[in-house]
Amino acid sequence: MDSRIITITSGKGGVGKTTTTANLGTALAMQGKKVAVVDADIGLRNLDAILGLENRIVYDLVDVVEGQCRLRQALIKDRRTPSLFLLPAAQTRDKNAVNSVQMEQLCQQLRQEFDFVLIDSPAGIEQGFRNAIVGADEIVIVANPEMASVRDADRIIGLVEAAGKAEPRLILNRLRPEMVRRGDMMDVADVLEVLGIGLLGIVPEDEMIIIATNKGEPAVYDKSSRAGRAYLSAAQRIMGEEVPLEDMVESPSLLERFRRMLGFGPAMPDEKRLRSQSS
Amino acid sequence: MGVFEFMVGRKKQTPGELAKERLKVVLVHDRLKVNPEVLEMIKSELLLVISRRLDVDEQNMQISLARESGWDTIQANVPIKRQKVSFEWDPPSHPNANDGVMRGKIHLEEDE
Repeated sequence: MDSRIITITSGKGGVGKTTTTANLGTALAMQGKKVAVVDADIGLRNLDAILGLENRIVYDLVDVVEGQCRLRQALIKDRRTPSLFLLPAAQTRDKNAVNSVQMEQLCQQLRQEFDFVLIDSPAGIEQGFRNAIVGADEIVIVANPEMASVRDADRIIGLVEAAGKAEPRLILNRLRPEMVRRGDMMDVADVLEVLGIGLLGIVPEDEMIIIATNKGEPAVYDKSSRAGRAYLSAAQRIMGEEVPLEDMVESPSLLERFRRMLGFGPAMPDEKRLRSQSS
Repeated sequence: MGVFEFMVGRKKQTPGELAKERLKVVLVHDRLKVNPEVLEMIKSELLLVISRRLDVDEQNMQISLARESGWDTIQANVPIKRQKVSFEWDPPSHPNANDGVMRGKIHLEEDE
């Protein structure tokens, strides 16, 4: 089977790796692909809860690696999207319970069964991160448009390169269009210029993500969620489809333009530059 | 640029722009693993070399790392004290000696 193993990582914690893994995995499965999402954050499992599958865990990744059960016994089938499976992390073990060789073997096993294997990496740059990328064909970096996150993303890019992997692609997550418009937040072009990698998607800050997490239903199921739609587009790009980027930083209202003409507020963002980045 | 901005004649850097500029600097430092101590060493070594030939203003010398059009760069701004510089070949009639090496003296005088 021509299968692809994609690791979602970030360096910094709390930028939306797990949410991104859950949504991209679900979106790919909704497109008819057979997908496994793997929680490689051993000891701090969360992917199960975001997918609403937390009550169905019997075996986990460490059990599989240690031979306590077969891979198929540990995989949890998502009833809403039957081609989506979760391999949960162990909750009572730590990141050193698995080594890189075991992780690579697990990836090879998953490759036999699935079109896509999405691995949710733990934060940090230690063994857990190394395990998460060792078997990956592609890396997706999640970053927020703020200093600490972009700085850590840059560090991860360096480590991914040193590991001999192909150039990672970026999901710019939790962008706040209104703040970008005011000049209070870095825009997409700024982050791309600093990091120098390609863009896979832009996901706006969206309250629906918290609601989705509360319900255990990834936002991609909800057509009214902007973040959900952005993840759906990113998943289509992973499959090689040409999907235009949504213009998050839409044109301000006439009143706002007038206000700015009079000098109350920052200069207009360079819309042309943003568009050229998105083509 | 807004009308008032134009009248005041300055363009204030937005927090977004500021973040980008700060990131550029910090990333070059991270990538090259150059800490301020190393930068200070480079600065004093540069001074040593340049001051052999020119009288420089040490106090106002600036050295920094930056990312410019895709390249990590080191930038040194070394102000030179105002002075007259003249060069005297040795021997005067024959700047290129038999061995192909140019010899001469640099004369520096404080400009009054």
